[in-house]
Amino acid sequence: MIMPENLLCSKSHEYLSDNGDNTFTIGLTDYAVEQLGDIVFLELPDAGSEFKKGETFATVESVKAASEIYMPISGKIIEVNNNAVETPEILNEDSFEKGWLVKIEATGNVETEEADLLEYEDYKEELE
Amino acid sequence: MTKETFLHDKHIALRAKMVDFAGWEMPVQYTSIIEEHKNVRDNVGLFDVSHMGEVFVSGKDSVEFLNKIVPQDISKLNYEKAVYCQLTNKNGGIIDDLIIYKLGILEYLVICNASRIDEDLNWMVRNSKEFDVKIDNQSHNYSLLAVQGPKADGLMRELGMTNQQESFTIKPDKIGGIKVLISRTGYTGEDGYEILVENKHSEYLWDKILEEGKNFEIKPIGLGARDTLRLEAALHLYGNDLDENTTPVEAGLSWSIPKDKKECYNGKEIIEEQLKNGGKKKLVGLKMLDKSIARHEYEVYYNGEKAGIITSGAPSPTLGKNIALAYVNNNKEICTGTIVQVMIREKLHDAEIIKKPFIQKRNRVKL
Repeated sequence: MIMPENLLCSKSHEYLSDNGDNTFTIGLTDYAVEQLGDIVFLELPDAGSEFKKGETFATVESVKAASEIYMPISGKIIEVNNNAVETPEILNEDSFEKGWLVKIEATGNVETEEADLLEYEDYKEELE
Repeated sequence: MTKETFLHDKHIALRAKMVDFAGWEMPVQYTSIIEEHKNVRDNVGLFDVSHMGEVFVSGKDSVEFLNKIVPQDISKLNYEKAVYCQLTNKNGGIIDDLIIYKLGILEYLVICNASRIDEDLNWMVRNSKEFDVKIDNQSHNYSLLAVQGPKADGLMRELGMTNQQESFTIKPDKIGGIKVLISRTGYTGEDGYEILVENKHSEYLWDKILEEGKNFEIKPIGLGARDTLRLEAALHLYGNDLDENTTPVEAGLSWSIPKDKKECYNGKEIIEEQLKNGGKKKLVGLKMLDKSIARHEYEVYYNGEKAGIITSGAPSPTLGKNIALAYVNNNKEICTGTIVQVMIREKLHDAEIIKKPFIQKRNRVKL
């Protein structure tokens, strides 16, 4: 279960959910999805590909524009949400349980890399 | 400082998402671009387009002056009629695209794009020296509301519009006792009206249209849906599909230019030459053959070589396909039915050149 209170969020609006066992689920925050509006296209990387923290790993497109999605921490993709690729509009309904993007295995020093991420509540506050 | 229209508070109260557009804080969507788009195609929508410019041109030489600055023949424009025009520079490049209305003898209204008002005025004044003409920018005094969609005519009658109007006409009228200028024009490919009203009455009019519009399933529509609506109708957006290095012929606007206009106008020589032989590039419509979306400034390839550039691209809610406009080399091989490629994030995606507009337009109403 992805619980907002257990999330870390980046300033570029990705969330990181710790699954224990050194794996994490990454998605877009509810705020990001609301700002984008109707999501019509999603491009996710192949399982097995590796990205460093801050690198673009996916693209999301609303009716208006394409936006890049960045890795909140370094990792190797172990699972992609093909459901979200097939029906990207599910992100508008729920970007946590249904509309998560990828699962990764961390490849860097998680503690250092998480340092600039915000707890969900602080992230929300920062937006106001 | 961004500017606000007199309807700004209305948009905020409707919880619109506001964005900067040409220096104006404007609603991009109220609920959802797709929902709003469909409502204009199926029912009717209300748009605040008060950011657009209104310039009144009058005086003894107004016909001669206007005839110098646009390729269209303003001497043939009848009372209360409108004509789609381009403001061209000396090279035939498009400074702006306009609608010119004839309001009276030697009195014209020019509607221009918000992003171009300063350039337009500067160019008009520079070209007016030898003419006895008054150029009066009234943009700050007027609000412009657009009522667009198949139910627009019914709603306007319900609102008390007294005149019957053909497309591309303008008439003074009254709504709820307020003096307005109503034109049967728009930017959606649908039938509809645009209502010019003094700023102080714009909130009253906005509320009245939404209230009476309930029976017509009206929704307020943001600039996001305005963009997808105009793209399906293949109507140009200045800054995307038109600019100062593009001529009306290249932009596919030859239909709007009379071949027999005697008067000299800016860029005439080049435009007339291109009317005969074509321009360097041409504007075509594209349909993506996969789920990818072509966007402004993406490159277009043909036979492995760069052959053009996307000017506008988006999903088409009506067609359920992703569509785009692109300038391609004026090469006979690149025509309707040709498969080209669009470079999207370093990969080539197939697209087919298809006829414009992408939808059947329903905006030509004759009485």
